[in-house]
Amino acid sequence: MAATRRLQKELGDIRNSGLKSFRDIQVDESNILTWQGLIVPDNPPYNKGAFKIEINFPAEYPFKPPKINFKTKIYHPNIDEKGQVCLPIISAENWKPATKTDQVIQALVALVNEPEPEHPLRGDLAEEYLKDKKKFTKNAEEYTKKHSEKRPAD
Amino acid sequence: MEQAQGNPTGSGLHQLNITVECAHLRSNALLKPTPYVELTVDDRSTVKTETVKTTTQPKWNETFTLLVTPHSRINFAVKDHNNFRKDTIIGEQRLELFQLLSIFNGRCDNIDLTLDLMFENKQTDSPVKVGELICCLKGLNIDMSGYLRANGSMPLAQSNSEGAHGRPVLNGVRAKQRSQGTENVMPSSSRVSMERGVAPLNALPAPQPMPMSPSSASIANGNIGPPATVPNGNIAQSETEETRADLEPLPPGWEMRFDTYGRRYYVDHNTRSTSWERPQPLPPGWEMRRDPRGRVYYVDHNTRTTTWQRPNSERLQHYQQWQGQRQHIVQQGNQRFLYPQHQQGPIAGPSTLADEDDGLGPLPAGWERRVQPEGRVYFVNHKNRTTQWEDPRTQGQEISEIDELPLPPGWEIRYTEDNKRYFVDHNTKTTTFEDPRPGAPKGPKGVYGVPRAYERSFKWKISQFRFLCQSNALPSHIKIQVSRQTLFEDSFHTIMRLPAYELRRRLYIIFKGEEGLDYGGVSREWFFLVSHEALNPMYCLFEYANKNNYSLQINPASYVNPEHLTYFKFIGRFIAMALYHGRFIYSGFTMPFYKRMLGKKLVMKDIESIDPEFYNSLVWIKENSIDECGLELYYSVDFEVLGQVVHHELKKNGDKERVTEENKEEYLALMTEWRMTRGIEQQTQAFLDGFNEVVPIEWLKYFDERELELLLCGMQEIDVEDWQRHTIYRHYTRSSKPVVWFWQFVKQSDNEKRARLLQFVTGTCRVPVGGFAELMGSNGPQRFCIEKVGKESWLPRSHTCFNRLDLPPYKSYEQLVEKLTYAIEETDTFGQE
Repeated sequence: MAATRRLQKELGDIRNSGLKSFRDIQVDESNILTWQGLIVPDNPPYNKGAFKIEINFPAEYPFKPPKINFKTKIYHPNIDEKGQVCLPIISAENWKPATKTDQVIQALVALVNEPEPEHPLRGDLAEEYLKDKKKFTKNAEEYTKKHSEKRPAD
Repeated sequence: MEQAQGNPTGSGLHQLNITVECAHLRSNALLKPTPYVELTVDDRSTVKTETVKTTTQPKWNETFTLLVTPHSRINFAVKDHNNFRKDTIIGEQRLELFQLLSIFNGRCDNIDLTLDLMFENKQTDSPVKVGELICCLKGLNIDMSGYLRANGSMPLAQSNSEGAHGRPVLNGVRAKQRSQGTENVMPSSSRVSMERGVAPLNALPAPQPMPMSPSSASIANGNIGPPATVPNGNIAQSETEETRADLEPLPPGWEMRFDTYGRRYYVDHNTRSTSWERPQPLPPGWEMRRDPRGRVYYVDHNTRTTTWQRPNSERLQHYQQWQGQRQHIVQQGNQRFLYPQHQQGPIAGPSTLADEDDGLGPLPAGWERRVQPEGRVYFVNHKNRTTQWEDPRTQGQEISEIDELPLPPGWEIRYTEDNKRYFVDHNTKTTTFEDPRPGAPKGPKGVYGVPRAYERSFKWKISQFRFLCQSNALPSHIKIQVSRQTLFEDSFHTIMRLPAYELRRRLYIIFKGEEGLDYGGVSREWFFLVSHEALNPMYCLFEYANKNNYSLQINPASYVNPEHLTYFKFIGRFIAMALYHGRFIYSGFTMPFYKRMLGKKLVMKDIESIDPEFYNSLVWIKENSIDECGLELYYSVDFEVLGQVVHHELKKNGDKERVTEENKEEYLALMTEWRMTRGIEQQTQAFLDGFNEVVPIEWLKYFDERELELLLCGMQEIDVEDWQRHTIYRHYTRSSKPVVWFWQFVKQSDNEKRARLLQFVTGTCRVPVGGFAELMGSNGPQRFCIEKVGKESWLPRSHTCFNRLDLPPYKSYEQLVEKLTYAIEETDTFGQE
């Protein structure tokens, strides 16, 4: 497949880079177009948990951008209940074929750590985040405790 | 039944007719049994057949009417009658009606049942199959939608409990829809007989006796894996839907599997394809059937049509939209024209009223001028019984008559590169587009209110084309008789049955059951209706390009219809007929498609209108140095159609050749060519073959792609106020000078120029039925937009997928007119890039 070599290289690079914030990358040898991994945020209120995501690359990659979905529920203004996330770097307007998946993941981790309530996917959470940060943090912490994955030991 | 009582709908009784036909019993006893069948519904009511004496192949053919609920269990017991002792059970089987209803979507009508008769041997404690019982179920039709939501969990729970005995419910029962060959023995309720009346294939015939290349739709090696990529990537969404839908049974022939990630996918064994999306039960009134070659198709009894593709909600929605257009078709047809009938623009001179004395002299013999009820003028040619909008005195003749006159001394006719005629006056060493001969219309605008030079050009091209058509016309006429209900099919058969050249005879269209001579009006309607039919999403032949501009492109998945190439050939013939006979079609094609028809080379910019994301990536590669950024590109490429990934090498051993800064131009050229043809080459060729048979494609060489669209679709009055009202601005305001000038230019232009301006910015000359407010871009509604870009020395540019015009801040009205005119008259895309 045309996208395979590019993705194999990207996958190798990411695995070698030893990112702390994105781990447990699982890719089926027979289908390199789908990756799964664990986002491990540093900032509260998400730093008590980890979040499973899935990255789906189209057959036309890198001419078309990948799509990202959260498989773990998360209380976040930029990630909706279905796990969809709005990430400018992979939007149709901004996508460049030279954009690498590790840049995409770094942008995603940054967004998880620092929500952008100005461009929300969940208006209710964005409003809470802006108007009552304390309440938001408390809710998000509880939600994380309840729903998130276990953080890796190290 | 506890569940049934908990659910009001479950307690309703329905009639079910069961015909107990025959049984095949294994006999290992010395004596043959005297079998009869006992049917028990929910352990309560029991009916029995007659006995058949001493046989292992009993035939009963007895029909019973049972009262059942959708959750009834029916026990079938075959017993041996004994005159002296108690009758003994030979074998039995139990049917869970709900499972069956789920599979057949609530309809048990002509279902053949084969039940494995089991006998429980007390010693071994494991049931043994002792024979088969054949029955037929009829007359049960239940709307399942209520049941599925309300008691979705129930049947599964039951089957689990059965499963504990090692005997899942449908194990031992095989059911299938009875094939048509045996249907004539059926008693028919009114509903049944109505459906028998459906010609088996109304819309797209599956079993065409046409020589066809073998269908490529089937998966050659039968390896059915999960779909290659996730459509839309919305797994999360589909899963939330699935939690609800989980418990609904799958349609027959479907199976749920899990891939290595534990993700669900669905295998359709009927068509040997896979999908991430859970198949929805067929909508009410739909049925799955197989043609004699075993191919699956779907019958819509609501509309008495058939389709190759399984209907899902999206397709049905498209279908409804498409149907909704129908009411506008005829109305639209009456609004289209090729030459403006009343003059537009600054010299809003004499309108049609003045035609009685328009200085053109009397009509030729046999011609008559008529006025439609809405006031539009048309012309009747009684000699060959045709009608047309164009005035015969100015159509084509004008040029040829004048052309025979000699030029004044010292003058010469020359042509510009794009075939515009101009005149050289060697006496004064000047040139002009104006014909110096007496009798040629004078003034800066011609009789149609369009600039002389340009009118000459397009009108000249049309007259050349018409001349070729007329000089190749055949005598007499052909009759095309169609029924409105089966318009597309009837038209298809008639047109494909005739030798292609016959289609150049005068057309005589008859709608069955409708009186009236075809003086042109009927065929005008026919072209409009058939061209709209070709778009029927259920035919899968064409799709809207890029979801936006109402232009069609060939659907790469059209091969789901095994006869698709024959249909494309038909449409090629049909389109050629429209041009040949000077009729308009409802909806046109994409600009790249017209370019392809004209044999023009497709360039990268052409991709923008059909796939802007892909285009942007190509542009990025073109504009950036790519050696250092790890693109890992090779001369090969993939794309996905109907869940299958198709791999393609752009050149020999392309998989091994890396793309570099040095060779990227070649790569981009190859990619462009591939992107514009992928998955549609055969279809395009079939279309062109069909076209060529009727109209040699060279006859079109006069036209550019925008003119071809006008020629095929006609023009329509463009409401400039509506246009202006629904235009937005970026970095300009409503009162910015270039904007004011722009609208001044539009108002002073004639319809044809407005149409070309629209083509330049939106990719088509057509305006949505609802006006400019409903203009669509590639991401949904997208208003006409004027953006300030660049310097005054630049030409205007356009982005057809966003309906956007990049208008530089010109310094004067004249400058704007010059640049804009240049941009919209030029088609070789450098004005567009």
